[in-house]
Amino acid sequence: MQTTPATPDTELQADNLRRAAIDKSVKGPVLFLFINGAFWLMLSTLLGVLSAVVLVEPAFIPNLANFLASWGAPRFLVDSAAESLTYGRLQPAHINALVYGWGLQAALGVMLWIMARRSGQELRTGKSLMLVAGVFWNITISFGILAILMGKSTSIEWLEMPKFVWPVLLGCFLCYAWPIARMFGRAFRPEGFMVSTWYILAACFWFTWIFITANVALHCLPGLGALGAGIDAWYIHGVILLFFVPVGVGAAYYFIPKITGQPIASAQLASAGFWTLAVLGGWTGMQKYMGGPLPAWMTAVGACTGVLLLVPVGLVGLNHHLTTLGKHSAVATSPTLRFVFFGALFYPVSGLILALNSTFWTGSALQFTQSWYSFQMVSVYGFFSMCAFGAIYYIVPRLAGCEWLSVRLIRNHFWFSVYGVGTIVIMSLVAGWQQGSDLNDPAHWDQNFLNQVMNSRPYVVSRAVAWALISFSNFMFLIHLLLMVAGLGRRSSAPTLLHREHDEHASPVHA
Amino acid sequence: MNFRTFILGLAASFGLPWLCLIVIPAMKYQQLTPVAYDKEKDGVEGFYPPAPVNGQGQLVYIREGCNQCHTQMIRPSQLGLDGWYKGWGQDQEGRPATAVRPNVLRDYLGEKYALLGVQRIGPDLANFGWRAGDANALHAHLYAPRSVYDWSTMPAYTGLYKVQKIQGPASERALKLPKKFAPRAGYEVVPTPEAERLVEYLQSLKKDHPIPGQSAVAATPAPAKK
Repeated sequence: MQTTPATPDTELQADNLRRAAIDKSVKGPVLFLFINGAFWLMLSTLLGVLSAVVLVEPAFIPNLANFLASWGAPRFLVDSAAESLTYGRLQPAHINALVYGWGLQAALGVMLWIMARRSGQELRTGKSLMLVAGVFWNITISFGILAILMGKSTSIEWLEMPKFVWPVLLGCFLCYAWPIARMFGRAFRPEGFMVSTWYILAACFWFTWIFITANVALHCLPGLGALGAGIDAWYIHGVILLFFVPVGVGAAYYFIPKITGQPIASAQLASAGFWTLAVLGGWTGMQKYMGGPLPAWMTAVGACTGVLLLVPVGLVGLNHHLTTLGKHSAVATSPTLRFVFFGALFYPVSGLILALNSTFWTGSALQFTQSWYSFQMVSVYGFFSMCAFGAIYYIVPRLAGCEWLSVRLIRNHFWFSVYGVGTIVIMSLVAGWQQGSDLNDPAHWDQNFLNQVMNSRPYVVSRAVAWALISFSNFMFLIHLLLMVAGLGRRSSAPTLLHREHDEHASPVHA
Repeated sequence: MNFRTFILGLAASFGLPWLCLIVIPAMKYQQLTPVAYDKEKDGVEGFYPPAPVNGQGQLVYIREGCNQCHTQMIRPSQLGLDGWYKGWGQDQEGRPATAVRPNVLRDYLGEKYALLGVQRIGPDLANFGWRAGDANALHAHLYAPRSVYDWSTMPAYTGLYKVQKIQGPASERALKLPKKFAPRAGYEVVPTPEAERLVEYLQSLKKDHPIPGQSAVAATPAPAKK
């Protein structure tokens, strides 16, 4: 951006006006996605509590149903609820609500806004189409998740929703992805390197490709047997590594320089991080079934790239570290930077857990254990969602025209999220190690699963508690977001920062 | 780098793994067919894998999400002790002399989607058919898992069973349950057709058939070599 020193004021004003026009053009779809996403997040975390509880005590829901019936709830209703809310249905419902309800919607909102701002383009056409697509997206997912709970699950992990769901989701996704790609194309400047928009465009591109491939292979082809399971594992890793990761990294690359006021430390590192992810990301996944029926080279390639992915993770991590160096005070004051910074910290952790799950050395103990859940949560919640929260704290005031009401709500949301998801990730990882060692203990060769069940119990209990804390924080987030969108935020020209004069009630503990 | 090379770069970098890991293997998989046993070499007749999977029962398994907790995949010894677990293969007695063989691609031939499993919270079911026992015991296990192990965290699939008033002589399909789990007097628990199919499916889970031309030794229950 070139500024002539002679007329800084008019330049600045024109710039602000242009920004306001861009914000106004994407306001409807972005806020719609954020609100609906927050509702799904709320539901998903509650389902997370429930599925962890029934994993420890499967009689919880039947007992609850009996209790309710004794208080006069209709018998057939509580009975059918008790029969359908088993772990085998709750867990997929929890994951699907998190991934498709919250994850994709929040991601699309963040992508649309960043792309519009970064490419300096207003959203000209397709706004009403976007809203319609958003409505359809939510209706379809509601049906899909209800279908899982009522016994129509396909048992294909992350694609448990019935067959009819995916073409609708794909269509809706393209209604957003296409305008985003158009904006990118119009504003593409060969000499200017815009790493955040690269990631976002690539996420649109990759998700479409992965989603079509997996669904066609698993729903339309006449049955791929064990290869289907491998393709599903590839799909899950693909969605995480080539959709959630790029969106999270793209948001981090956008917001960290913006708020710290530092340029990205190294364009070379950024470019290398992008292309190594692009080259490696598609190969990994099938190591979930290492030692299984898949041809050995497939799982070996997956395991190998699973470890090699530490390279892009490290490059991005190093770049973020260099960019934020010396600016850590901004992390304490800016809600956005705080969330994005901690999200970015979770990124190397997710890479590490992926590598641990991938190598044959540690993977033999971690395969088929809770460490798999740990990986999903650290990447979808710890990394991606934290970045998305940060983005939302930045974007929504600009769209809603008012500032966040309460520092305390933001701060509680932050700390409960960090501690909650940290607990889930660490506990699931350790639980996975425990499960694996129990399973591979030669002394257990003629034993039943008593040891496994008893030893993993405390970890699952802690998972339930952590999800409950997260639900609590998400409730505050949801209320806060709804108030903002209703235009009931603070009328002020100054953004809501943590640690400011208007925040005299805040406890100094979490400085 | 212009826009076109950027998109081409993305397409090439992702297209290669897509082609190698998904498209070509999927095309090759379509040509996978059952193979005939050689009577002389393998000692058995017929085809491998011998019978298509019980689809009706598998549908119940799928819709209940059993694969969230149960795998159907025996790993080789270097990765896990699966093959050495008591009763996880054909040999139900004593310490196995050889490990149960790890699964291969053909074991799941004819299944729309192999339920290899998400986590192993409960035991592996790849060869459950060998240790399933009779249908009534299995029904009791599904209806009230804690009648078998009081620490079990398996859900009780009461929705697959009907509690009905005994009219005339008790149904011969009625579940024999310990007192604690039995319905009140004058009532009995009978499986629905879905539960019957599920149990048939579980009883049919035998994915350790000998592989033609590989080892006749694995085919016969290994004679204890001391």
